[in-house]
Amino acid sequence: MKINSIIRKTSFTIAITGLFCGISAAQDQLQSQSKSEATIELSYYKKADMSKTAVAVVKTKDKEGKFVFAKNTRVNFYVMHDKEQQLLKNTNTDYKGQALIVFQKDLPLDDSLYFTIVAKIENDNLYEDAQEQVHYKDVNLGINLNPQDTARLVTAKVTEIGKDGKGIPVKGAEVKFCVQRLFGIMPASDDNTVTTDEKGEASFAFPKNIPGDTAGVITVAARMEDNEQFGNVENKANASWGIALVKEKNPFPRALWEPYAPVPLILTVSILFGGVWCVYFFIFFQLRKIKKEGQITINNSTL
Amino acid sequence: MVNEKYNLKNEIETVREDCLKPTRRWGRSTRIWIGCLLIVISWGLYCYIHQLRAGLGVTAMRNYVSWGLYISTFVFFIGISHSGTLVSAILRITKQEWRRPITRSAELLTWVSLLFGGIMPIIDLGRPDRIANLVIFGRIQSPLMWDIISICTYFVGSSVFLFLPMIPDMALCRDRLSVCDTRFKKFRKWLYTKMAIGWKGTKSQWHRLEKSMTIMTIIIIPVAVSVHTVVSYIFAMTLRPGWNSTVFGPYFVAGALYSGSAGVILGMAAFRKLYHLEKYITPRHFDLMGRLVLALTLIYAYLNLNEYWIPAYKMATAEGHLLRDLFSGSYSTVFWTLQFGTVLLPIIILSIPKGRRPLMLAITCIIIVAGAWVKRYIIVVPTLLHPFMPIQEVPNDWSSYFPNYVEFSITAACLAGIFLVITLFSKLFPMMAVWEVEEGILIEHDKQAAIELRLKREAEEAKTNGEHSGTGTEPIVQPT
Repeated sequence: MKINSIIRKTSFTIAITGLFCGISAAQDQLQSQSKSEATIELSYYKKADMSKTAVAVVKTKDKEGKFVFAKNTRVNFYVMHDKEQQLLKNTNTDYKGQALIVFQKDLPLDDSLYFTIVAKIENDNLYEDAQEQVHYKDVNLGINLNPQDTARLVTAKVTEIGKDGKGIPVKGAEVKFCVQRLFGIMPASDDNTVTTDEKGEASFAFPKNIPGDTAGVITVAARMEDNEQFGNVENKANASWGIALVKEKNPFPRALWEPYAPVPLILTVSILFGGVWCVYFFIFFQLRKIKKEGQITINNSTL
Repeated sequence: MVNEKYNLKNEIETVREDCLKPTRRWGRSTRIWIGCLLIVISWGLYCYIHQLRAGLGVTAMRNYVSWGLYISTFVFFIGISHSGTLVSAILRITKQEWRRPITRSAELLTWVSLLFGGIMPIIDLGRPDRIANLVIFGRIQSPLMWDIISICTYFVGSSVFLFLPMIPDMALCRDRLSVCDTRFKKFRKWLYTKMAIGWKGTKSQWHRLEKSMTIMTIIIIPVAVSVHTVVSYIFAMTLRPGWNSTVFGPYFVAGALYSGSAGVILGMAAFRKLYHLEKYITPRHFDLMGRLVLALTLIYAYLNLNEYWIPAYKMATAEGHLLRDLFSGSYSTVFWTLQFGTVLLPIIILSIPKGRRPLMLAITCIIIVAGAWVKRYIIVVPTLLHPFMPIQEVPNDWSSYFPNYVEFSITAACLAGIFLVITLFSKLFPMMAVWEVEEGILIEHDKQAAIELRLKREAEEAKTNGEHSGTGTEPIVQPT
């Protein structure tokens, strides 16, 4: 009787637990079905080495409604080719929510010489489908300077590429003149933006007080940022217009990264720890003596 | 007289038997305990391999908090390692007779916590295979280099300090293990023989051993103090709020002694209960150790006040942000619980004689040891989360830190490693220095004999004086 009662109670408990687990699993499934909204910010970059890149930044809102980067989200990159979207690559976003594609070939152009890049989130487990696209024209941003020029005039020339492949000067494009530093690009002056003229040219007198490397070489950069027609375009050139950097012989005489430690420090550490280790060696010597004396005692007793 | 000698011999034999008994039997509970520890260690090892393969990114540590649970545990273990110095060396040097049954466990705790404490920074390295570079391309200007030198020096010193008093005991174990019918017994015989280094107990050997022990007792104290001071330099020589302090050296030493002596009491309580050593480790030992911990807690409390009160008085910008976070921000609950729960409460408990009884003292010491561990975490982590340059343009989770399962598993494995080494040690070697306890009995016996002799002589003198003065009951009148 008792065993029957135990079996009955156990089966009842298992059934109830199973029911709860089932309900909870179903709730989890329902929760997982409600996806969050994600937004894509798409940018296009043409760099000095002529490489073309598109960067998609994916953001979503957290529980408090604040925008946060969506990590590890798959983004599909397409280009429009004959009015149809052609998948080029899919890649996951990093911790900054960024996914990027470097275009290996020339981008297909439409009749009005525009190319279209599309970034999409499709069939994602966490986020609803989203997409963003940009249309830009291909453009050349030339940079012209004479390293010997005492006036230090730098000229940028903006030409869009026509149907016949020839360059057409672009008037009214804003070009910013900057200088390359170790961790990024710094505006060359407060008033570093110049608009191109009919020839597509923008000239800028480079300041004379910018520090360069040991030979005084600096990297001059001309940039178009978030241009409506061309996106982000940049070009760079080197000139010895900077103030040559004079290395100080010993700027931090007491720094830890000095090649040689100060003699008093070496002496202090050596005396302190050397003294302790001398004592240890004396103890080891005593232990050796103890061992030897033990062996002598054994030999004597054997004799 | 013959009967007295027989009793003394019997007493010494009982001591030997009581000390060696735990090494003879590996009971079922011991095997289960070792099995459990091995499971924890295996899981920790698996997590460490995962960390090695995937990098430190699998932990919760990021750019800002690059010293998390591992380094906190390292500082904690090094702190615990001070127990041997305090209980064994200082009590030995001051010739405190009551130290005899507890020195071995204190020395062992020192050695084993140093062993695992030294491993923690290696675990914290993303590329431990480059550890040799620290020595090959080491720069003596770096506090990290000082740390390596001092910890290695202390480890060698504490190994010698543990080994020296074991030599006569190893000889005893070697001589007593006469029947070697199993492989394990053969191994033990071999181990004891090697560790006894030919000890025969000759006068010359005793002389050398005592001389070595005296020297080691003196030298180990400054070495131990230097180790924890140098550990504090790693923090104090960095220009960071919370660490930029001149009191860090003594503060770390006081914290180490306070947690280390509490650790010794826990060890004493465990061995007393498990190996039935109630006859040797008596409530008096607990009472005296309790007083010691009380004094150390008071010193630690005073230095704690120094560490927080002085910067709090100034509230300099960066330091102020950190202190506000500790006093009333996200770490305030832990901070105040530590101050009141693990410093003030033990002071109150240990001030009362009842609080120094074995059980109560053991509970208090558990609180102290756990508190000391969390305190190291509070020293390391909040400072890293309050750099001078504000944390910006990084993912949200980089601006906070709580260890994840990988860190907890590896740390738990190290703790289990400590328990495993202690368990194996206690099953192979006597947990009390047998010859020292015997020596204590002989000294006690000599004292008793001397007292008895004096009383006897006084009685005889009184009797003789009585006979000379007539009846012998009349008071002797001193001539004025």
